[in-house]
Amino acid sequence: MNPRLLRAALAHWRQARTLTLLTVFGVALGVASVVCIQTLNQGALAAFGGGMKAVSGDADLTVLGHGPDLDENLYPTVLAHPDVTAAWPLVRAWGRLAGHEDAYIEIVGVDVFAPVRFPVRLGDAGHATGDVTRFADLLHVPGWVALTPAYAEELGLAAGDTFTVAVADRLVTLEVGALVDFQRAAPLASRKLALMDISQAQHLFGHRGRVQQFDVQVRPGVAPEAVAAGLQERLGPGAQVLTPAQREQNAAGLLAAFRLNLTALSLISVLVGVFLIFSAVHASLVRRRREFGLLRSLGASRRQVLGLILLETAVLGLAGTALGLPLGYAAALLNMETVSATLTSIYLLSEIEQMHLPPLLVAVAVVVGLGGALLGALLPALDIARRDPVVLLGAAGLPERLSRLAPRLALVGVGVAAAVMVWYLGGGRAYKVSGFVLAFFLMVVLPLWTPLLLRETVGRIPPGGFGWRLGLRGLASRLQSTSFAVAALAVTVSMLVGITLLIGSFRATLDTWIGQTLVADIYVTGASWQRDLGQTWLADDTVDLLVEFDGVAAADLQRRLETRTDQGRRVRVVAFERRGDAQRRKISRVPLLAGDAETVERRLLAESVALISEPLARQAGLDVGDTLRLRGPHGTTPLAVVGIGYDYASENGVVFVSRATLEGMFGPGGVAAVALTMAPGRDPGAVMDALRVALDGRAVELRSNQRLRAEVMDIFDQTFAVTRILQAMALVIAVCGVSLTLLIMGRERATELALYRCIGATRGQLFRLGLSEGAGLGVLGLALGLAGGAVLAMILILLINRDWFGWTIRFALPTADLVWQGVWILGGAVAAAVYPALRASRTPATELTREDLL
Amino acid sequence: MTGPILQFEAVDRAFPLAGDRRRHVLRGVDFSLDRGTSLAMVGRSGSGKSTLLHLAAGIDQPTAGTVLLDGVRLNDLPDTERSLLRRDRVGLVFQFFHLLPHLSMLENVCLPGWVAGDSATATRARARELLDRVDLADRADDLAGKLSGGEMQRVALCRALLRRPPLLLADEPTGNLDEKAGRQVMDLLLRLSSDEGAGLLYVTHSREQAALADRVLRLRDGRLESAQS
Ligand SMILES: Nc1ncnc2c1ncn2[C@@H]1O[C@H](COP(=O)(O)OP(=O)(O)OP(=O)(O)O)[C@@H](O)[C@H]1O
Ligand SMILES: [Mg+2]
Repeated sequence: MNPRLLRAALAHWRQARTLTLLTVFGVALGVASVVCIQTLNQGALAAFGGGMKAVSGDADLTVLGHGPDLDENLYPTVLAHPDVTAAWPLVRAWGRLAGHEDAYIEIVGVDVFAPVRFPVRLGDAGHATGDVTRFADLLHVPGWVALTPAYAEELGLAAGDTFTVAVADRLVTLEVGALVDFQRAAPLASRKLALMDISQAQHLFGHRGRVQQFDVQVRPGVAPEAVAAGLQERLGPGAQVLTPAQREQNAAGLLAAFRLNLTALSLISVLVGVFLIFSAVHASLVRRRREFGLLRSLGASRRQVLGLILLETAVLGLAGTALGLPLGYAAALLNMETVSATLTSIYLLSEIEQMHLPPLLVAVAVVVGLGGALLGALLPALDIARRDPVVLLGAAGLPERLSRLAPRLALVGVGVAAAVMVWYLGGGRAYKVSGFVLAFFLMVVLPLWTPLLLRETVGRIPPGGFGWRLGLRGLASRLQSTSFAVAALAVTVSMLVGITLLIGSFRATLDTWIGQTLVADIYVTGASWQRDLGQTWLADDTVDLLVEFDGVAAADLQRRLETRTDQGRRVRVVAFERRGDAQRRKISRVPLLAGDAETVERRLLAESVALISEPLARQAGLDVGDTLRLRGPHGTTPLAVVGIGYDYASENGVVFVSRATLEGMFGPGGVAAVALTMAPGRDPGAVMDALRVALDGRAVELRSNQRLRAEVMDIFDQTFAVTRILQAMALVIAVCGVSLTLLIMGRERATELALYRCIGATRGQLFRLGLSEGAGLGVLGLALGLAGGAVLAMILILLINRDWFGWTIRFALPTADLVWQGVWILGGAVAAAVYPALRASRTPATELTREDLL
Repeated sequence: MTGPILQFEAVDRAFPLAGDRRRHVLRGVDFSLDRGTSLAMVGRSGSGKSTLLHLAAGIDQPTAGTVLLDGVRLNDLPDTERSLLRRDRVGLVFQFFHLLPHLSMLENVCLPGWVAGDSATATRARARELLDRVDLADRADDLAGKLSGGEMQRVALCRALLRRPPLLLADEPTGNLDEKAGRQVMDLLLRLSSDEGAGLLYVTHSREQAALADRVLRLRDGRLESAQS
């Protein structure tokens, strides 16, 4: 590349500082949204992986049960495998720290006599701080645990201190026996980890004879996968043998839909960023077309000109990437807590405590930033490079071509839309990603229709005065600039509106469903209930006390656990038992999608059958009369599906059975939650107060009906919190686009503005004209975006939701949200117009020397 | 109001150049123009004719001396006041016609009325009347882009006259036209401005066209001298 050419180009970008800044910023935000989401996605997986590494160390295999636990008597069978050199059992339970709001700790019980290959052996003084001799107390001091120094400090605990945790409804006092830095071996592991002796753990939190997992080490040189197969055979269908990779894969699979949705969302920002680049490069090239004409006539080849333009854009793209990386990472950190809360409350995975920027992600960011910038620049650059020098030097510009091209572009749009529809209806819909394909092409078609729509709407407005109508008419006269801004805004608004409609509809549906299903007066659970899936339960006497309490007419007891279908699909199994007033139905309060309520009720009580949730029915293709096979400790159990119910608690699916059925499959187990219905005339508030007194000393949580409903809605809102930042980022990019367009327009029509000044328009009038143009762009983008958003909402609700989640969501109009978004978008567009309008109003009347006008 | 519509008193205009140097474009320019009369300004390229016109319209400020527009001293007026004065008292015609291509001819002519916030119907009626007087009534609703140069300049003339300004300034109004079209525009300019009783100051390179004015002034080295034909 000729250095003089390069210097001329750099001079241009330095001169057009605002244009340059906006372009770089646009790229940066696009990169940032991708980096933010990918960092969070990676963080979620890394947290799981880190937790696994901290607990299982370099174990080659892990034996897990189907359901919450395993029989410890399988231990000899595991050890007996010839290729197993070591194996050790683990007991795991979640405890909630008493006296701390929402602070949890995972307690892991280990067998000190087993050849534990732990990341940090308890006796390894190298990593321990505090009184090392206290390790000797591990076995005989009740409640002895090793804590991470980080968490101990956070809780204000030192070695020798005691603290209380609640597991289910039990309060247990633990003593900080040692401080051990597990994170040193597994940096991404949670700091909220405690180690103790296994038999103590079993005694305190678990159940005699039950463990959560065996970690296994295989003989060096033998493939763990081969050993896994052999072990699986020996252990039978009641256990599952997994490699670390398989366990990570399972966690990733659990999050797949969640992650995919966020990724798709973040790509919208990239798309809008590409528009911005396109618009900026196009404008700068139009302004410099004489410069290029001159270069060409002085002997520069087409390729040199093309190379120069692309190189310039690449520099801008890289600058944007450099800015976007830290921005995205900061945004991820800002959202870590809410995403982490979603992971724990919905997916029951480990929380994200720390994140890092994987090198691969830096590469992805560069590809997105650089690729997006080059993609945006390619068309205008090719256009300039292709032209004859004479044309470039001539007065006749490229500007008005778009106006003539508009109908053709719209036609291409129709063609694309038709082709995609044909593909979809002709078999494309069989693919799970087809909904995303439709959504993507919606975002492509919308911009293609924009120029024609602009030309035929605002282009026909009679001005009738020096005001907003003249401004709108002016927008149509500069289609080549305004189309991009409107299209970018329309794409963004579509996304905003589409997602708002989805969330609003989903929320309304959920609200109705909660109203139908959460009908008891008081809900009672153990304190650590939210993290627990069947490992622990309420003590029998607690349940008895609740059921027989004065004022309680009926109680629904719930036991729940998680297992897999024979096809490996993860499902939650919920078992009900009704105590007290037998008149009311128990399980059928789940609104039914298929099946008859009376029959479902009768058969659920009498037989080993199941009522399944809608997502499970759709994803597994099950209907009433079909058979669902669930894995359990005694192998696979077939359950006839007697009904399909609406359920929004889990995207992976829920199976409702009677408690007896569950016991038959998974053995005896306690109740995790109890829903109490008051006797007629009894005040739930008063009963709850009395219960609190009666339950003193037990770690139970009482929730009123109202509070539980509020909590469910809070979790829902939390899940979608991260989408808000993506929406905001896309909106900011689009608003940058508006600013950019108005700046470009102000420059392109300096003579027009100068003419207004000559005619006697004041600066104030020009400023207001500029603002009204910004508002005009905003209104147009909004209008087009509303239409696009409505279509996108249908795609999201009817197709993407159906294919990926399988919920029935009824359309609802979240009017207030939409109105607010409209206000924000318009406000943003007008705010974006302030600076360009100010610049435009300063145009000197003496600028009337150019011949852009007729 | 009587008295000259435009008056220059010892007007200097210097532009700063690179470094500390300045370029004196106008030095001690004195002249006045009455309503209903015409004045042609001639001079070599770069002699400062356009600069003088800019000062007269209040879109540029003198470095010394006084410019009086309809008796009002332009020098100390803030930008907004000058804009309003220009709006109400001055009509401008340019060498390049400066019509907005996306508006119809009628709309182009209406523009000053819109800027001033005049009644839309009255503005329209006046615009049609003017277009009629320049023989373009039947094409009023065509987009401006479809006209010939002479026609465009006639539309621009109507635009300048729309609000009956007492002063008309024209900077080489025929500079971009062939001879015939140029003569037609020049005739119209003189006739219409005298019909409306406006003072007319125009810049031209053509001896012939300069001779059509009541008075001719020549700019040389920034100084004004009366022109001998
Ligand atoms: N803003 C400015 N800054 C510096 N110099 C200027 C500026 N405006 C005009 N000049 C200079 O003032 C001189 C007079 O310019 P002006 O445009 O008034 O000439 P003119 O007589 O109209 O010429 P022409 O017949 O070519 O239109 C020129 O030398 C020009 O370079
Ligand atoms: Mg001039």
